[in-house]
Amino acid sequence: MMLQQIFDAINIGIVILDRDLKVLGWNRWMEIHSGIPADEIRNTSIFDTYPHLNNPKFTRSCKSVYSFGNFCFFSQKLHHYLFPFKTASYSEARFDYMQQSCAMGPLRDEDNQIKNLFIYVQDMTEVAAYEQKLVQINMKDGLTGIFNRRFLEIKLAEEFNRHKRYGGIFSIIMFDIDYFKKVNDTYGHPCGDFILKSVTSRASALIRNIDYLARYGGEEFCCLLPETGMPAAIMVAERFREAIEKHENNFDDNVIKVTISLGVAEFRSSMESAHELVKNADDALLRAKREGRNRVVIMDCKQIVRTD
Amino acid sequence: METHEEELLTGEEIEILQEIMNIAFGKSAADLADVIDTHVVLNIPFINVMQVTDLPAYIRDHVKDYRNISIVEQHFWGCFKGDALLVFSSGSGKELIRILQHGDHANMESDPVEILERETLMEVGNILIGACVGKVAELLRDVVTYTPPLIVLERHYQDAIADNHFTPDKTAIVLKTDFSFTEGNVTGLLFLITSNDSIKWLKEALRIFIAQYE
Repeated sequence: MMLQQIFDAINIGIVILDRDLKVLGWNRWMEIHSGIPADEIRNTSIFDTYPHLNNPKFTRSCKSVYSFGNFCFFSQKLHHYLFPFKTASYSEARFDYMQQSCAMGPLRDEDNQIKNLFIYVQDMTEVAAYEQKLVQINMKDGLTGIFNRRFLEIKLAEEFNRHKRYGGIFSIIMFDIDYFKKVNDTYGHPCGDFILKSVTSRASALIRNIDYLARYGGEEFCCLLPETGMPAAIMVAERFREAIEKHENNFDDNVIKVTISLGVAEFRSSMESAHELVKNADDALLRAKREGRNRVVIMDCKQIVRTD
Repeated sequence: METHEEELLTGEEIEILQEIMNIAFGKSAADLADVIDTHVVLNIPFINVMQVTDLPAYIRDHVKDYRNISIVEQHFWGCFKGDALLVFSSGSGKELIRILQHGDHANMESDPVEILERETLMEVGNILIGACVGKVAELLRDVVTYTPPLIVLERHYQDAIADNHFTPDKTAIVLKTDFSFTEGNVTGLLFLITSNDSIKWLKEALRIFIAQYE
């Protein structure tokens, strides 16, 4: 009697299955989240209600519980859920279903013989959401929503090492907003933030989904273009420049136009590190600044590729 | 060593334990075939009593031919209590994915191979460890429970086993067996490290076990 009360009061789901995988126990938690009363599901096969459980991993686990008295684990990270339940909170729209950590194990009689198996279900949605959020924070720039420098540097190192070993091409574009300090001083920092978001959203629209656009510093950005040689990288850079030059930013009844300066560098097998590649692009960017801004300059070359 | 003399197993006790393991592994191999649809060959187990601090070197010495290894680790609790380490040879995870056709698993479609590999090794590891430990416990009339498996994936054998993990000044009974799957190139070693706490119980359980044949 007391145990029955705990069975129904506890904040985890408990299911008891017999050898034919028919439901013998279905606690209150399972009733609430599945919407199925215990009386309705009792004595029916678990596969009648949840046919997706009829998969090799689940049946193998049941067999190993009955054969060896094993405990089997279904972690949230790998399985996401066993029972497709709606998330408990209305505010949690991140997942289609409640994220669950589940385990199954044997239930024995007085003679230690395995009679049934139990499954317990824990709601991990909140933890999983926090984890996702942390991963996001770790990768993305809070203001602009593009990647942060930390993430870019990891990707750059990966790309660099891969190309060092297997050959191939990739390029990067470094760019920064011309006279950005003036925007901040004239219209205020909220406007500066608005411009940063506007510039990144223009540039994001022009890249492929395999490219990485990241905020490198205050108003400096870096775009990593895998499998892209110098000519194509110059084209992308020129598109960035044009799109941003043309765009009119409306902020508090002010129309503000900004331009960017860009430096392009391509991976060379003679380079020692990803850092060297960044330095090449940065040097080109500095030259673009010195030579009048609003232009694309490529590494190892004085030539200005501006098309107008 | 001398100070632990009264707690260690005698030659006769080791022989009985060896026999129990033979029976247990024979039984679990048959049941394993039913559970994972492929035959696992569990070779004759070898029993060693040693200082816990000597364990890392002992394990490393036995797995060095594999170079890269994956380890599934689980603790088991009953009167029979300790740690189980299942060491898989490099590439076993990918082979097992193929054998168990995990690639077809609907929930797994979007997951990268590494996650699939972890999942597969943990599942198979959990089943293998449970089968072996469970059968030994059953013969000794004990019931054990397990912690969720932990995994170290594809690491060089020198880095995979930490020295500081093992409590010094303790003795352990180490049961070692090598196994292989008849299908695919999957091999490895299973180490059952019986905790010091259960040695007293084990001696008694072995006595009861042999008494039924005397």
